[in-house]
Amino acid sequence: MTVLAAPGDTWGIPSRTFLGIYLLAALVVVIVSIARRNAILAGKRVTQHSQLGPQQVAFLNGGGQLAVWTALSGLRSAGAIGVRPDRRLTTGGPLPAGVTPLDQAIHHAASRNLFARELARDEWVARALGDLREGLQRQGLALSPEQRAAARRGPFLLFALVMVGVFRLFAGLSNGRPVGFLVLGIIGVIVAAALLARVPWRTRAANAALRDLRRSNTHLAPASSPAYATYGAAGAAMGVALFGTASLWVLDPGFAEQAEIQRQALSGTGTSSGGSSCGGGGSSCSGGSSCGGGGGCGGGGGCGG
Amino acid sequence: MTTPRSAAVRTGCVPAGVGIGWRPEIAGFVADLPGLRFVEVVAETLAPHAPLPDALAELTARGVTVVPHGVKLSLGGAEPVDPARVAHLARVAELVGAPLVSEHIAFVRAGGVEAGHLLPLPRTREAVAAVVANVRRAQAELPVPLALEPIAALFDWPDDELTEADFITEILDATGATLLLDVANVHANARNRGGDPLALLDRLPLDRLAYAHVAGGVEQGGFYHDTHTDPVPPAVLDLVAELCARHPSPALLLERDGHWPPAPELRAELDAIAAASGYPVVT
Repeated sequence: MTVLAAPGDTWGIPSRTFLGIYLLAALVVVIVSIARRNAILAGKRVTQHSQLGPQQVAFLNGGGQLAVWTALSGLRSAGAIGVRPDRRLTTGGPLPAGVTPLDQAIHHAASRNLFARELARDEWVARALGDLREGLQRQGLALSPEQRAAARRGPFLLFALVMVGVFRLFAGLSNGRPVGFLVLGIIGVIVAAALLARVPWRTRAANAALRDLRRSNTHLAPASSPAYATYGAAGAAMGVALFGTASLWVLDPGFAEQAEIQRQALSGTGTSSGGSSCGGGGSSCSGGSSCGGGGGCGGGGGCGG
Repeated sequence: MTTPRSAAVRTGCVPAGVGIGWRPEIAGFVADLPGLRFVEVVAETLAPHAPLPDALAELTARGVTVVPHGVKLSLGGAEPVDPARVAHLARVAELVGAPLVSEHIAFVRAGGVEAGHLLPLPRTREAVAAVVANVRRAQAELPVPLALEPIAALFDWPDDELTEADFITEILDATGATLLLDVANVHANARNRGGDPLALLDRLPLDRLAYAHVAGGVEQGGFYHDTHTDPVPPAVLDLVAELCARHPSPALLLERDGHWPPAPELRAELDAIAAASGYPVVT
């Protein structure tokens, strides 16, 4: 490195000039990242919420595991699924008309007498969940891995800037130059990068759809002690999709207990993880229920780990 | 919080057509009835100073008439009716913009003990006087007219001085209250205490009829039980038709309080009431 500037300047760049350029670069990256992030997270507004089936709603609300419970509740309401004294599932009747691939996969798993907690890991079920997720991605409700990676590009650049800043910091220190403002600047960039690196897996359109659906389906909330017999299988499924397996425990406590289904009440207050108790049946959110793009169980409720 | 009486004017229309008792458990079912014009809500389930449940507010916004139906005033009690309970009923009537409220000719507590049930009164002059006094006390505080519903009873008191019809007529005449007739009760009383339901129907002051209840029940041990948790039996639907032949178009309300059937069955019950009465279907 040639030294053309005043002797003593680290890397030949005066502190103030470096700090100015450094913060300006960070600011530009932050602004561009936020703009890109906003565009990616917006998703596509669902004009007709009735287009969303209970299993799609469940996937958006609590990931693959909640979609499984939702399908199971619908099948149970329709009398297509039962549970044996040894707590393994069994089929109770033929599949009703108009079932989804996930219904078929779960019915098939029940015919092989799986435990309810094993459903999400079953190969067929996992494939159906994958299809469900991809469908939601196409509809602009869930983010694809590519979209999440794109939203993380800005934060990666910011972390690169952090590295540059840290190198400069050590160089400055070994030069005996003042580094106080640089430290503050680096901390600021770290905070911005950390905030922007948190990319949810469902879009704002999905949040809005869930909010509207919760409002228009308050009669299905366990607090209303819904007459599930009146609302039928679809109503029972939507109750579980929106308000968690607590609905299934109200609907059919004998089945829920025998099949060891975790009791989980979703408060439905928005984006943060709404799942409360994860206890009960001992099946956690792990296993096959990744909520898209390597996010594990994050974001959407589920059990929060 | 006092609402001036004049603020309660946004009252709904008088009940008309076929309605259903609104319960939180079936709120989603009721909301999906396109032709619904009126519902009844159990007054004691509504909080006086909280906003209405969303589902109920949506119904009133749709122009559906909501009639608060009290079950705990104990108008037939020997002691004066509790002013706080009357105030609650009045407040709920204003909250839903009701054109009228209804209560039972019965007592639910005596000497401070809650029965938890609607209990029948002995049909004596003394009982008439007690009911009339309580009804007048309630009417003085209520912003809208009061309709009174005689209850079903499995037995007669030994010292009855009046017939069922005379008992009801005397109370209505003395108070100016209107009649809420439970068609299933007419069936139950005739079935359980002997007698012809049509004869009872003919003796009742149908000119004072505000609206009518239709409910399900079950025959058990030689008695008809007015359960509100079973389907409406054909005999009660026949009585609905007889009532509609005698009185021009009383509004009919299906009361179902539990053991709710699948939606298609509940819709079929509403349709059967519409068919028996000649009203347009609400489903």
